[in-house]
Amino acid sequence: MFARSVAAIPEIGQITLRQLLGRRRTILLLLLSAVPVLLAVVFWAARVADVSGFASGVLDAVGVTLLLPIVAVLFGTAAFGAEIEDGTVIYLLAKPISRWAVVVAKLIGATGMTAFLTIASVFVSGAIVLAPLGEDGAAATRAFVAAMAVGSICYVSLFLVLSLFTRRALLIGLVYVLVWEGALSSLLPGIANLSIRQYSLGVANAFWQMKSNEAHLSPSTALPLAVILVVVTFFIATWRLTRFELPGGTD
Amino acid sequence: MTAQIAPDPAPDQNAVAPSPGPSAPTIELVDAARWYGNVVAVNDVSFSLGPGVTGLLGPNGAGKTTLLHMLAGFLVPSAGTVLVMGRSPSRDPSVYRQIGLVPERESVYPFLTGFEYVRFNARLQGLHNADLASRDAIHRVGLDDAMDRPIGTYSKGMRQRAKVAGALVHDPQILLLDEPFNGMDPRQRMAMMDLLGQMAAAGRTILFSSHILEEVERVGTEILVMVAGRLAASGDYRAIRALMTDRPHMITIRSSDDRRLATALMADPAVFAVELGKDLLSVRTAHLSTFRRLIAGASRSAGVRLFEVVSADESLESVFDYLVRR
Repeated sequence: MFARSVAAIPEIGQITLRQLLGRRRTILLLLLSAVPVLLAVVFWAARVADVSGFASGVLDAVGVTLLLPIVAVLFGTAAFGAEIEDGTVIYLLAKPISRWAVVVAKLIGATGMTAFLTIASVFVSGAIVLAPLGEDGAAATRAFVAAMAVGSICYVSLFLVLSLFTRRALLIGLVYVLVWEGALSSLLPGIANLSIRQYSLGVANAFWQMKSNEAHLSPSTALPLAVILVVVTFFIATWRLTRFELPGGTD
Repeated sequence: MTAQIAPDPAPDQNAVAPSPGPSAPTIELVDAARWYGNVVAVNDVSFSLGPGVTGLLGPNGAGKTTLLHMLAGFLVPSAGTVLVMGRSPSRDPSVYRQIGLVPERESVYPFLTGFEYVRFNARLQGLHNADLASRDAIHRVGLDDAMDRPIGTYSKGMRQRAKVAGALVHDPQILLLDEPFNGMDPRQRMAMMDLLGQMAAAGRTILFSSHILEEVERVGTEILVMVAGRLAASGDYRAIRALMTDRPHMITIRSSDDRRLATALMADPAVFAVELGKDLLSVRTAHLSTFRRLIAGASRSAGVRLFEVVSADESLESVFDYLVRR
């Protein structure tokens, strides 16, 4: 069954991508991803040659803090949530394939979409404002590309597993992003160890030195924490999917 | 499966005893129950099925879908045992090599064409020639002309057929179908019933739920009747009807002289009541077989020619009606 399960991953991943690329969701997320690019154009037009200012004011405040978690929560919760909601998940689960393969396929699909949109947004913004500013600008771009990559897989893992436990995953995910990471983390620095935003910025630190009041974790702390999060949520998702039950229905 | 009716009032004895078929059963439930908190969806259900078509009957809320989901491994029984091909279907994905499932909910990936959907199922089943198997399955459900259209553009009946094609593409030993004829027009229903009949003749075990009794009657004579989470009866529906001795059978007769025949029949203690209608004689009797012998002798001795003798309430509708009200 292992070989069949591995072979099923691209099939399920492809279906997941087509599902996630619903017209309204795609348009909304493309518009969101365009926000950092538009701000970059404003910076470029104003001839502001400030690597730190752009990194902090746009790539961090807009990209990592808003764009990344919103894209991830929409894709992460929809990867399973939409199929559970409309009942099509049964077509995946009534197959002789291991549940871990279904989770891997969903993770790849949702993470891939999230990473593509957010990294593209950072890359294009960086190319407009930071590329002309020499090595410092290029390093900052690389740092935020890494932050988006790490953040994508961490956020999607968390929101995906959340959608296997509750139908309110989108709401809870937004509360996590806005309340836990937004409001509480600025008041309670200890929350950094339980903040995906901080894992992302911590990894970015390996490429470009962030301001200390933004990134509270070193790369050597952030990366292991991110890996632990992904591994733990993967096992929980697989466990949950193995015990997935359909309702009895009206009959 | 031998015909059995569950004993009437005692709630804890309402289940039908297992009735093993001639060979090892492909589906077996022993005292299976499923409850959600205080709500009992399925209670102490026992039966076994081998190859053939069996209709799972019952009104809304009877527990049909819960039962099918237990058999498909998507609900773990709260008590008792559910076995498919001799093993528990729960938490064992490999069992789906042998099971094809058509769920009640009609949602199917709307962005896929019919062919893509069936091929997706074939590929997840690990079929080597998924394209060929998919075309064959689509042909069997008669969707050839629409296979390249997105499922989102399909009618309800076409979606049902696409679901059936996806469920049988790997030629499963067991096919579980939840209200498979929903949304199909009469011609499509007939074709689907023929297909299920062919699969049963080829040795497959097919269990389908329905609340439309005519569908069950047409596909097969074996039924399981669920009422309020319990198995009220199982077996051949005509035999089940014959076992209902506590309710008289209604026989309608057309003859050359209904009045004279009525007089002859009323003399026999097996006849409860006789009613003369326009060109029709209705008789109530407790024992069908006794009455069949009686009517032959009575008509001969009265010199009356029989044109038609029909057991008016032997239809599945009346069986079902009776069991639900019981």
